[in-house]
Amino acid sequence: MSKAKSPQALRTSTRLSLQFALLYAALSAIVFIGAYWFTYYEVKDWMLDQMLGDAETLITIYERDGAEALVQKVDALGQVSFEDTRVFQLLDHTGKALAGNILDPVLSDVPDFLSAETLGVSFAIFDEVEGYWMRTDAMGPYQLVQGSGDHIIGEVLEALGTALLVGYLCVVVLGLLVGVRVGRLTEQRITQISATLSRVSDGQLNARIASSGPIADDLSWVSAEINAMLDQVKRLLESQEQISNDIAHDMRTPLQRLRQRLETMRENRNLVPEDVEASLEQTDEIIATFNALLRIAQIEAVNKTERFEPTDLEEIIKDVADVFEPIAEDNGMRITTQIPAGPLKIIGDRELLTQLVVNLVENAISHCRLSTQIEMSVSATSATTVLSVSDNGPGIDPAIREQVLQRFFRAESSRNSPGNGLGLALVKAIADIHGAKIEILSNDPGTLFKVGFPTESAQKQDI
Amino acid sequence: MRVLVVEDDKETAEYICSSLTALSHTAELVLDGKAGFLTALDNDFDVIVVDRMLPGLDGLSLVKSIRSANVDTPIIFLSALGGLNDRVTGLEAGADDYLVKPFAFSELLARLTALARRPPTQAEQPILEVGDLKIDLLRHGASRNGQTIALQPREFRLLAYLMKNSDRVVTRTMLLEGVWDFHFDPNTNVVETHISRLRNKVDRPFETQLIHTVRGAGYSLHE
Repeated sequence: MSKAKSPQALRTSTRLSLQFALLYAALSAIVFIGAYWFTYYEVKDWMLDQMLGDAETLITIYERDGAEALVQKVDALGQVSFEDTRVFQLLDHTGKALAGNILDPVLSDVPDFLSAETLGVSFAIFDEVEGYWMRTDAMGPYQLVQGSGDHIIGEVLEALGTALLVGYLCVVVLGLLVGVRVGRLTEQRITQISATLSRVSDGQLNARIASSGPIADDLSWVSAEINAMLDQVKRLLESQEQISNDIAHDMRTPLQRLRQRLETMRENRNLVPEDVEASLEQTDEIIATFNALLRIAQIEAVNKTERFEPTDLEEIIKDVADVFEPIAEDNGMRITTQIPAGPLKIIGDRELLTQLVVNLVENAISHCRLSTQIEMSVSATSATTVLSVSDNGPGIDPAIREQVLQRFFRAESSRNSPGNGLGLALVKAIADIHGAKIEILSNDPGTLFKVGFPTESAQKQDI
Repeated sequence: MRVLVVEDDKETAEYICSSLTALSHTAELVLDGKAGFLTALDNDFDVIVVDRMLPGLDGLSLVKSIRSANVDTPIIFLSALGGLNDRVTGLEAGADDYLVKPFAFSELLARLTALARRPPTQAEQPILEVGDLKIDLLRHGASRNGQTIALQPREFRLLAYLMKNSDRVVTRTMLLEGVWDFHFDPNTNVVETHISRLRNKVDRPFETQLIHTVRGAGYSLHE
């Protein structure tokens, strides 16, 4: 495995931050353009409304107090002039400017908008005033022309722009800082994961990725998955190692005996058919042990969902009872079954489950004496379906109950009965890949094997 | 029997072929998958033996190719792979039987004989007869010399299997697989016990014995 550091993590988070900043800039620009047009039309309407209001007031003055009052009022307004942002000009019926803060040029027939330059306004203190919205109203024989500076739009947009820019800078700076920080943390954790994997590939099978704290995120999820995978790999390797040890331990002896027999046959030179027969039998025994060991290893390594399907335990029990009744009878034993009504399906491999039941029954037959009763039963609760095989034979010493499931374990009391010591180990392997738990209890007298399978619905969620 | 053997391990291949020839069967040996395919297509064999792992074209692909060329000659796989699903994948590919190495020649021979093409008339008959023993596969009835033999369903299944393979040797493993669907070797003497029960009903009350033990191989039902 490569031990190169992974700069990609930092790059990724920084890139994301930058992308976010760009996106925010684009969004701000769109907001700004939208705000510009909205403000432009709103402010313009407001100005025009204000001028209309002023015109109405002046018309009222003219009608109530006469022309002189109007002239005075327009002059007064022009002098106040709203800080030079408003222009007024009152024209008489000949088109002569009578009053206002602009007398020249004469503003007859003006368009809706006039630039400050055209108006020749030099007194405007606001540089921002680029032009005026204009309005003309008739007041008896007179005409009032007024204009309102457009600087307010500039002011409003300036304020808005400043706010957006400050917000934008804050977001970008914060985003980059957070991005870099998160990137650092992510990089540290990815480096840690990568370092752990390097250690594993260097042979330290116990190395695990440390937990990153209480917060569950994608990385801690990946770490947990990797840790689970490492556990599984370690378990499989240990199982393989155990198999090699078992082979060394329990296969060498019979092979040694076979070799001795063949050597003796070579030296004797005259072949006795019985010797050949015995050698073949010994070979078959070795093959059988070897096959059983391999089968356990294969079962332990199997992908449990492959070929698993709903399987009826009742059918299996009935079939096995049917096959083994005569064998039990010949050994002076009886087999009974107890099966409640209703389907007793679990998700599993029919062939393997059959072998599990067969091995439990054979175990009972080979360890019990005359007139033993062997009972097979199934019972189900919402969470588990329990398969039980019990006998009223001599029972298992509580001290060795856990050991009987180990490969090649044979109790002192059963050294002389047939079997290779692998039957119950196979039961355990099959139970394990079905997610089943084995309990070995006393049947007072005798032994009770309970195999608890998760029921079909519970198991489906698991798979 | 004309047997095609596709096997790359020379020692195994020669062992199979010489044993077959000694029993006056014809055996043709091919050492790789591609040649196996061509030979299987060009000739008419009674049964084909295919090793699972072959150079050129592996056994599984070879069997698939033979089947897709519409050759329906019975095929038996020989395999050093004894994985949980290997038998199933082998049968799914189109093979008719599967035998794991190491095997006894008697086992292979019995399976080859059971697989080899039989005259078509005999295959689907509902009533089978060997000597004075007669069974009705539809009614699940058995009789000998006109005398009804009362059999339990499991005994009938075993007898029916022996009758269908009459005059041939059936091995313990063939019975375990064919009668009880056990694809593993039980530690107790399941086959011996059931055969002995069946003999008590089918042979003991009568003069001639029909179920014979074939030493070192298995059983055979014949006159």
